[in-house]
Amino acid sequence: MSSLPDRRLLESWQDPKAAPYVRIERLTKKFGDVYAVDDVSLNIFQGEFFSLLGSSGCGKSTLLRLLAGLEYPTSGRIHIDGVDVTDVPPYSRPVNMMFQSYALFPHMTVEQNIDFGLRQDRLPRRERAERIGEMLDLLKITPLRKRRPDQLSGGQRQRVALARSLAKHPKLLLLDEPLGALDKRLRENTQFELVNLQERLGTTFVTVTHDQEEAMTMSSRIAIMEAGQIMQIDTPTAIYEFPNCRFVAEFIGSVNLFEGKIVERQGDQVLIEAQFGGLMRMRSFQPHAIGTPVMVAIRPEKMRLCETPGGDGVNRLQGIVEDIAYLGDVSIYRIRTGSGLLAEMTLTNIQPRTEQALTWEQEAVIEWSPTSGVVLTE
Amino acid sequence: MKRRSWPLLSILVFGYAFLYVPILLLILYSFNESRLVTVWSGFSLKWYGELLHNRQLLDAAWLSVRIAALNASVAVVLGTLAANALVRHGRFRGRTGLELLLTAPLVMPDVIIGLSLLLLFVTLQQTVGWPDGRGFSTITIAHITFSLAYVAVVVRSRLARMDVSLEEAAMDLGARPLTVYLRITLPLIAPALLSGWLLAFTLSLDDLVIASFVSGPGATTLPMVIYSSVRMGVSPQINALATLVVALVAVAVVIAGLSMRRR
Repeated sequence: MSSLPDRRLLESWQDPKAAPYVRIERLTKKFGDVYAVDDVSLNIFQGEFFSLLGSSGCGKSTLLRLLAGLEYPTSGRIHIDGVDVTDVPPYSRPVNMMFQSYALFPHMTVEQNIDFGLRQDRLPRRERAERIGEMLDLLKITPLRKRRPDQLSGGQRQRVALARSLAKHPKLLLLDEPLGALDKRLRENTQFELVNLQERLGTTFVTVTHDQEEAMTMSSRIAIMEAGQIMQIDTPTAIYEFPNCRFVAEFIGSVNLFEGKIVERQGDQVLIEAQFGGLMRMRSFQPHAIGTPVMVAIRPEKMRLCETPGGDGVNRLQGIVEDIAYLGDVSIYRIRTGSGLLAEMTLTNIQPRTEQALTWEQEAVIEWSPTSGVVLTE
Repeated sequence: MKRRSWPLLSILVFGYAFLYVPILLLILYSFNESRLVTVWSGFSLKWYGELLHNRQLLDAAWLSVRIAALNASVAVVLGTLAANALVRHGRFRGRTGLELLLTAPLVMPDVIIGLSLLLLFVTLQQTVGWPDGRGFSTITIAHITFSLAYVAVVVRSRLARMDVSLEEAAMDLGARPLTVYLRITLPLIAPALLSGWLLAFTLSLDDLVIASFVSGPGATTLPMVIYSSVRMGVSPQINALATLVVALVAVAVVIAGLSMRRR
């Protein structure tokens, strides 16, 4: 059993006294008239596994290249470990990158590939040999050291690329879609290995990915990007449970969005008149004015079948089961209400399928609790 | 088992025959004992022997090889620089102009290249006094002007296919731009440089038209000697010489092909 490192009481990003390791200030990068990165400010702390998540063209790769020094910003500053590196060329930055295509030098062996960066630092031969050995060991690729990249499988290449970019002990390791070129099975195993490796070395990782599952499993924090801007930065749990806007809620997982209007505040809860005709009561810490149009976001697995109809009818929907998707462990039910709204509910299949209560065209009442979702204003 | 398609096979045989029978005949007759080129009278190496004593032919061959080698070397350097500029430096000023200049020699008739260069050399000689007479240097310069275009084409396609992230990775690992070029870019495009060199070498070696325009007295290249001697009747010595040239070119082509196939 491997022991996890002690979790501090405060995570570094919550500790007001912690100094950020990477500080990005109002960074903008324009290509012609297009803002690839648009006024992004971001702090990353030492030892984090930070993910930039977004669909293609959202600017996440450009942000990574700006950190590597392969692009220079139109405006804004980048500090790494207290040093302003904005104008430092890539070959002088304490940062290494693992490229999406791995970019292994085809005319060099695995050993020579790893050695390349060490040579540039003019390290003595003994130390270089030691570091190469250390990296080959760490990534379990010692038997491959005399091979050339075209004699390696995809997974092996990924390891060599990782070894090469870690060999110089960078302050910051950038990974561009690190698992993008691997097949699904290999990808899942490698996710855990990558996290273990990062925890063992303590190096700060910044990775770019379009795969939300990958970001959720690996990251300490995730930044969701869209159109060059950061929509939300938070832990995977917070991003999933407390999205701050409609975009993030819809981007990660599936979600039910019910529109409505605030009619009353009761302590830390608000009463919302829903467009589908009922009332919703949700917890919200935001100071909404009465009458504000809002959206209630509830994940399908937070929905449940209502056993005891009646009561005040708050947080409840009535409809007909229109669709059932059986996924083995869970089933997804789509319920159409009288007003035409489609709601999604995920139930764990505790009983064998044949004995389940709900079936097609059946009338169903579903409900949720005030703390099971968030109230969004945009 | 694959089924043979007779019509296709015969077309293939005919195609190869069309291309190679003349050359094979030439090689065969170079070993002919008879003085008459068209009558076979037995195997002999005597024309190769006589060739070794033919000063005029040997001098011309040596001149051609020297011009071809120098031309190829300079053309590879200039052509590679041009290819680099076009592939790696985006939209710089004068890019379209450079591209046009590089394509022109590929499509321009040799006669026009030769004539225009001759006019240029003559004017230069009258105004600045250089080149002082025409010969080795003018032929070499003329050959470089069109060879570098071919080299640029070969190197350019190789550079364009090369993954830019390889250079970025090298820079990310701490290599300065010059190191990146010498340790990463050059080794990776080396096969293209070699085949570009060989291409330029062969283009120069077999050029007759341009060389005839820009050469002067005392500088006669091999194609010029062969051409003028053929007009007086083909000597079997020419066959022997041509066989040697074919062998040389074949070796060059094989080397170029092998090096391009190697990644």
